[in-house]
Amino acid sequence: MLFNSLSFVAFLIVVLALYYSKIFNWTNKKRMLLLASYVFYGMWNPPLVVLLWISTMVDWTAGNKLAIEENQKKRKFWLLLSMFVNLGFLAFFKYGDFLLENFVFLVNSIGIDFQAQPMNIILPMGISFYTFQTMSYTIDTYKRKIKPAKTFLDFALYVTFFPQLVAGPIVRAKDLITQFYDEKKATANQFIWGLFLLTIGLFQKVVMADTLLADTSDAVFGSGKLLHGIDAWIGTIAFSGQIFFDFAGYSTCAIGIALMLGIILPDNFKYPYASLGFSEFWKRWHISLSSWLKDYLYIPLGGNRFGITRMYVALILTMLLGGLWHGAAWTFIVWGGLHGLYLILEKLQKQYLPFKITKWNGIFLAFITFSCINITWVFFRAREFNTAWSMIKSMFYVQMDGEKVLSLFDIIKVSTVIAILFICHWLMRNTSMKEVSLKTSPWVLGIVWAIMFFIICIAQGNGEQFIYFQF
Amino acid sequence: MKLKTSLIVALSIGIIGLIAWESYWRSQDYEPNLNDDKELWANQRAKVNNASEQDILLLGSSRILFDIQLNEFEAETGIRPVQLAIAGASPLPVFHDLVHNTGFKGTIILGVTTVLTFSTLYPKAMPWDRPQSKVDHFYNRTYAQRLNHKLSLPLQNNFVFMSADEELYIDDIDLKSLLRRIEIGERVPETVYLVNFQNTTEDRNTSMLNKTVTDSSFTRRVTNFWEFVMKVSPPPDVAPTMEYLVNDAKDFINRGGNLVFLRCPSSGPFRGGEAQILPRETVWDELLRQTNAKGYHYEDYDQFKNLVCPEWSHLSLKDAKFFTTELAKIMIEDNVLTNQKTN
Repeated sequence: MLFNSLSFVAFLIVVLALYYSKIFNWTNKKRMLLLASYVFYGMWNPPLVVLLWISTMVDWTAGNKLAIEENQKKRKFWLLLSMFVNLGFLAFFKYGDFLLENFVFLVNSIGIDFQAQPMNIILPMGISFYTFQTMSYTIDTYKRKIKPAKTFLDFALYVTFFPQLVAGPIVRAKDLITQFYDEKKATANQFIWGLFLLTIGLFQKVVMADTLLADTSDAVFGSGKLLHGIDAWIGTIAFSGQIFFDFAGYSTCAIGIALMLGIILPDNFKYPYASLGFSEFWKRWHISLSSWLKDYLYIPLGGNRFGITRMYVALILTMLLGGLWHGAAWTFIVWGGLHGLYLILEKLQKQYLPFKITKWNGIFLAFITFSCINITWVFFRAREFNTAWSMIKSMFYVQMDGEKVLSLFDIIKVSTVIAILFICHWLMRNTSMKEVSLKTSPWVLGIVWAIMFFIICIAQGNGEQFIYFQF
Repeated sequence: MKLKTSLIVALSIGIIGLIAWESYWRSQDYEPNLNDDKELWANQRAKVNNASEQDILLLGSSRILFDIQLNEFEAETGIRPVQLAIAGASPLPVFHDLVHNTGFKGTIILGVTTVLTFSTLYPKAMPWDRPQSKVDHFYNRTYAQRLNHKLSLPLQNNFVFMSADEELYIDDIDLKSLLRRIEIGERVPETVYLVNFQNTTEDRNTSMLNKTVTDSSFTRRVTNFWEFVMKVSPPPDVAPTMEYLVNDAKDFINRGGNLVFLRCPSSGPFRGGEAQILPRETVWDELLRQTNAKGYHYEDYDQFKNLVCPEWSHLSLKDAKFFTTELAKIMIEDNVLTNQKTN
């Protein structure tokens, strides 16, 4: 079920009505939320709910065993079982065809004639999100950082909580399970603020991403032609804006919906396009994933504890795997690799060419960071190296004889939207929407809200899927 | 923070804004209309799963979609046909799906618009991709998509502003379509879009909007699009498409199905152009010869051959009703169809 759909509106109204009715006690409200979450997921493909159940059962059992078991070997066994099941699901459903393709390529390249039919495995929506979330639970229990969930219901709801089930934020057990222990009810202000966040999220998705940017990005990346430099740049920045509005929109909706239920989810985006450097970008973009990768991959790989070389290796491996997490294709790995390279170059710059960031050079640095990030989006969006190389050539050779596919209006529209996006991120980088709203007259806030609501309604949208569902 | 005030302001202004928006477009002669989208089509396709030998399916392109009126057809035959024709599409992918993925043994009336039916087998070409994507959607649609569509129908039936058709009509009034109308400079060649000149019901009974008959400037916008289509369309690929259609037709007939081909009227440059590109003897007559199926060509009947299509390709509602009634009578007379009312 998509947030930007009529079925979700009906679903949310029913869930809220049941949640705030007096017919259920807290335990039954949680049961209702769990059932609603399975319905939310099953409306897409009912049989795949079984995967959620298996993941839930395995990690619940592993978590309980890890909490009481003292024998280190047995503890390792339970941890590895959880990893095997979760990563096994990912490997099979998400990377099955990719692994097969590369295996075929490898054996063919050493002269063995072997062909394999693609398995055409269906990718369960949000599998990367919920497997990472359950894995964090088991790993934290193994490390004795958290206690296991008090009840199976609390744990099952943690794995399946519908607002963040299919596209995050990836919430740690300590931040979410404990919220389920006591009855939660949003205050009037929390409820209305949640509704406001839901409106903003839908505005980002339906209006900014789908209506204003998606077609331009699709036209450029789908053209199959060697493009004029301006078209290549505009298509790239259009995708840059589209993916931000799409994903941040989803996270904002998720946070808003949870808040309407009195549950607090962490921020997932903090105006990332105004980052001063790449390490800051990853503290502002998809925060729940980057902190997951840091805690469960980068630090176990050694982090910065074993010298500079080992740190660089850990960093690049983390980013390569982070790229692969986004999709089963080499272009995603290159995207991750480029970010890894940027991070290493930034660390070298800080070591050998340090300079002070002032308010004067800050925006320039943010713009450079934003531009470099745009280059990485080419590989993220292109899916094929031929398309990506063609785009990069157009962007840097500025081929004046490349083909023009965008109208002047498209160019003006995208440039304006992205310029406003960048300036807004710059102005907001040290504050938050909440802080700004506190300083704003309720009438002005209401008018802005009305405008967003009105534009969402006239944009309509056709229930386009969120980009991050496929990850 | 006085969020309650903000919420009340937002709801009040938002709703007033929507009422004003709706009123404005109604004042511009817009009326609520259903989107003839993939979900509407899939709902009709789903009916085939429970169809009996008495049932009738209509396949083809926009001509059979506009020209066969379901009410009139039902009045003559006692059976309401299932409308599966798709505008701008080859009927081959849908027919292939019905022949190979269902056990349907009733009647299929297959509308032949020669330039589309014999256009291509290339999967990415528009006449193939459009119907195939609807077939794929029928098999892949989720329960959420079905529910979304059910919930959207009362809104589409009552509000003009719910007009975002997947056909991307230039006169749609969703935000994306409104922005698409803005043109600055001539950096890329101008794209010609079609205007929406059809009215659709939940079972896809489709008719021409009256202004296509009465408003010559509106009609001109439709014919401008046809001129553009004629200019950019690649030549038809007759031999492989004929073979593909004949094979499926034989499979259907051999399992006991009743297949009827229908050539609906066209006028003006379309009529002349079609006759020139795909002469009747080499395509229509050949199709009937190879399949041994019954066929109805409008030129063979006095009451049909002088019908005029206001925008060259489809009949007005009044003529479509006449065409349907007369055609059904002829088919019953020929024992191609049985009258379920009298039987």
